[in-house]
Amino acid sequence: MPIKSLLRTLRLVSGLILMLFVVGHLANLAIGLKSLEAMQAWLAHLMAPWQTPVGKFLLVGSMLLHVALGLYSIAARHSLAMSRTDVVQLVLGLCTPPLLLAHVIVMSMGSKLATAFEPSYGQILSVYWSFAPMLAFQQLFAVIFVWVHGAIGLYSWLVLKPVWRRIGGAVVPLLFGVPILALLGFAEAGKEVLDKLANDAAWRTDITAMVELLNPVRAELDAIQARILTVYGGLLLLAVAIFAGRRLYNRLTPVRVAYDEGLSATGVRGQSILDVSRLNGIPHADVCSARGRCGTCRVHVVAGMDHLSPLNDIERATLARVGADAGDRLACQARVLASGVSVVRVLPAFVETSAAHDSGAWMADSAGDAASGPAA
Amino acid sequence: MKRVLCELGELRGLWRAALALVALCAPFPAHALSAESGMQGMAMTALESAKSGLAERIQDLRMASSEVGRISEALAAAVLGGEGVRALTYLLILILVGCGAEWLYWTYASAPLRVIKATRAVSRRHAARLALRRMVLLGAGLLLFAVATIATSAAFTWPAGVHAAVVAATFAVVVVRLAWMAVDLIIVPGPAHRAPQRLVPLLQGQVHWAAACVLGVALALAIGGFVPALIEPIAGARHVAGALRVLAASLTAALLVSTLLLLSRRSNRGEKGDSGARRRLPQFPRAIVVVLLVVAVYGLWLLGAETAAAIAAIVSIVIALQLVSRVLVFYFWEAEIAADAEAAEARTGAEVIDPSLAPSIVLSVARFIIVLLGLGACALVLNAPMSDMAKSPHVLVRLGFELLGVAALALFAHVAWIVIRTTIDHRLERIGPINAGDPHGEPSPNARLLTLLPLLRTTAAVSILVMMVLSSLWALGIEITPLLAGAGVIGLALGFGAQALVRDIIAGIFYLAEDVFRVGEYIESGTTTKGTVERITLRTVALRHHNGPLHFVPYGALGTVRNNSRDWVIDKFNLPLPIDADSEKIRKMIKKIGIAMLDDPEVGHMLREPLKGKLYRIDPGVKIFRCKFETAPGNQFDVRAQAFKRIEAELKAMGVKFADGVQTVVVERPPLLMDAGTAQA
Ligand code: HEM
Ligand code: FES
Repeated sequence: MPIKSLLRTLRLVSGLILMLFVVGHLANLAIGLKSLEAMQAWLAHLMAPWQTPVGKFLLVGSMLLHVALGLYSIAARHSLAMSRTDVVQLVLGLCTPPLLLAHVIVMSMGSKLATAFEPSYGQILSVYWSFAPMLAFQQLFAVIFVWVHGAIGLYSWLVLKPVWRRIGGAVVPLLFGVPILALLGFAEAGKEVLDKLANDAAWRTDITAMVELLNPVRAELDAIQARILTVYGGLLLLAVAIFAGRRLYNRLTPVRVAYDEGLSATGVRGQSILDVSRLNGIPHADVCSARGRCGTCRVHVVAGMDHLSPLNDIERATLARVGADAGDRLACQARVLASGVSVVRVLPAFVETSAAHDSGAWMADSAGDAASGPAA
Repeated sequence: MKRVLCELGELRGLWRAALALVALCAPFPAHALSAESGMQGMAMTALESAKSGLAERIQDLRMASSEVGRISEALAAAVLGGEGVRALTYLLILILVGCGAEWLYWTYASAPLRVIKATRAVSRRHAARLALRRMVLLGAGLLLFAVATIATSAAFTWPAGVHAAVVAATFAVVVVRLAWMAVDLIIVPGPAHRAPQRLVPLLQGQVHWAAACVLGVALALAIGGFVPALIEPIAGARHVAGALRVLAASLTAALLVSTLLLLSRRSNRGEKGDSGARRRLPQFPRAIVVVLLVVAVYGLWLLGAETAAAIAAIVSIVIALQLVSRVLVFYFWEAEIAADAEAAEARTGAEVIDPSLAPSIVLSVARFIIVLLGLGACALVLNAPMSDMAKSPHVLVRLGFELLGVAALALFAHVAWIVIRTTIDHRLERIGPINAGDPHGEPSPNARLLTLLPLLRTTAAVSILVMMVLSSLWALGIEITPLLAGAGVIGLALGFGAQALVRDIIAGIFYLAEDVFRVGEYIESGTTTKGTVERITLRTVALRHHNGPLHFVPYGALGTVRNNSRDWVIDKFNLPLPIDADSEKIRKMIKKIGIAMLDDPEVGHMLREPLKGKLYRIDPGVKIFRCKFETAPGNQFDVRAQAFKRIEAELKAMGVKFADGVQTVVVERPPLLMDAGTAQA
């Protein structure tokens, strides 16, 4: 499989695996709406698959791979022209590791370093609600960030598929229901924990003893966390530096693109045609937000085809799927290497996701509206 | 002319603002009068309170930093506990619900929004309509966000005091987003190709500054408005709240001043770059006035006179809006107004007197609404609810309230008058003068409109004025029934007395309605009066006799009218020729002349039937030929003169003389004398 679509598939699959884990975890939290006990009881069932060697490998592998691919996608950028959703997704994704790290390390390394340590919901929730509320804040933000990041990814992948018509009605409520129920479960369980801490002296001593078990290894855990964070920060800086260096270097060669309707715009070498449109506020359809999946951004190249980057595999597949004419390119994939490119936007800027399935039908459908609509 | 009108418009705006001020001050004189100490005492009190106000602000600023430390400790203690975790959990749910609801909405609404954004505005009003549609879409999203957030917040049991903070924060977010929406819809910051969507006359270089200023001010006001109100009751931090307010106010003032100075400099430069054609007379720079106003309001506020500052701010905004409203409104009709001016200039070489109808109406309504909103805002600031004002025991307040009603009536009357006047004037202008250039030419077919329309205009003006006066008297609570009854009685009396007058007027209406004559037509009435209709008034018609005198004939005395200017006239004249003239030859000769005259450059086009002649009578010694032709009305004299000229020449060529006027008396004489007799004929 060619490299570009391979990377894309890997990022998607790793993201989906992580998402699956997170759904299970959040569903577990939601059970807190019933009781703390039920939560603890379900923990074993919901998390069991991930405790197996295969599960562990998939989870850790996906995590590493996904982060690496995320950082790579930053390094590979040519411009910061992104849709608002993409900015949110990227920023939330980048914030996730620092937020989540403390939790992940305590859960995975805690029992290894302090052998008697045995994490349970009662104890972790006590830490969050009573002993160290700061950690709770961190964790709450982590949950929301991870979820919103993943939900955006899942939605923007699924919404372009023909199956969305059938499953969309079920998926959207889930996208909102899962985190809200999880947070409510967290709050309810928290109330129960606080109540128990106040009224159940035996339970309280148990919990306190368990939490204190970690105290001796705290320094060690912190050191591990700091090391991982440093590596992550370094990689992130590297990715940003690569992006910035390329951007600054390309700045020396501005390029000009001519559009239909007499518009024209300036970008820098290496940016895609869609980047140039976005940076100059030229209306341009981009239903999949430059992921090369929808084909709505395609343009007919009138002149300067040899000043564009060659077709990559993603672009070829999408162009074939939407049945594009010869001389059409995807504006989000075709990068401008020199001035003298002149294009005509094929679809109007306001196409909907349905145009991604069958743009011909969409155009025919809305021909009546489009003729009178925007002009009126 | 236009300048003067502009000036007048501005004066009117100022006048209205002054009226607003008077209405505003209505509640005050009572205090002013009851303050026994007079002007000097009042000044001293004002100075004292200003001093203490300023001292308070300074105190706030000085104490704030120590208080901040205290609050942040207290806040940390409050937040770092179960309560804080619970609050954050609920808050995150709230954000998920609010943002989620709006996101869901946008999955449907973003495509229509993009349609509107991608639509090219063909005119400024089209741009306004597009902006309106965009506003509906954006506003619905914002509303959904606000409602979902606030409604969901009611579902939780929040830790003490947090709920109010959450709702206030939501409102602050809504305020800032509203400002952003307004900027996006009205100022439209962005690349030059979005300029047609802009709803205000700003240059491309100015939009980003203006947008930043509006957003910054909204942000400062939202922070200054919502945060102190939360800090004060919850944390009891009076000084921090005060300091925050000072900061917000200072930021607002600084932003306004710097933006105003910057924008005025840029626009000046832009104008100079334009061309010499639009040079302006030197004026006092308005930007400086506005800056001074901003500084004055800020100063008042700083001195503790918060109500006065708010009212001063409102009044300044109202005045400023009045001053620019003309420009702002006419911006939307720029193309039409320019076209109008061009057309009028081409026609008459002068500038247009009247702008078109729609912008004038919009302008006066907008001006009125601005004043109303200003008054409403002032009432809010003064905590004087409008509903009580109508029943207020204070006479002046009631009067002010009633004056407002009168102002509304005046606006109504004004709009009605503008509608009628502009429609009629534009119609008149389109019809043009009665007979373009040529005073003897045929009157244009619209001459009747030309006579009726000004009449209608005066009538409308009078009746609108009367109705307006009567209804405003009524609105002011003055009993007008006796007035009306009296008017009725007097009307009756006058009606009897002025029968003739009434008859004239009614008759006039029928003459005009039946199109008996129009301005420019030559008419003869019943007996002796005849002439060209010069003027048609309510009671009389002015006829210019061809010898000069002007007859004023009341319609009632007009009687049968003989209109000589309709359709065609037949002119006949006699040609006396000697008895021995050959009739057939003469007839042919006249016919030839008639045909030749059809091609005459001067009179040919006037003829409807060519000149013809035939033997009409034979008198002793004379043959009388009668000639006739048909022309458009009013041309018969010219044509006849021409015909005579040609006939005479022709006769001379034929050697025929006109019959001389001497009646030949044939006396039976000896044949000897006969020769002399015939030789004389
Ligand atoms: C740990 C830090 C993470 C980083 C730096 C990160 C970064 C990224 C990036 C850059 C993308 C690509 C967006 C695009 O299409 O351009 C992405 C996609 C995605 N991420 Fe993450 N992510 C992280 C964690 C997670 C987690 C914990 C989940 C699971 C809930 C997740 C689920 C997804 C999904 C489902 C996608 C969509 C895949 C696709 O569109 O190709 N990510 N992530
Ligand atoms: S934006 Fe979807 S294919 Fe380019």
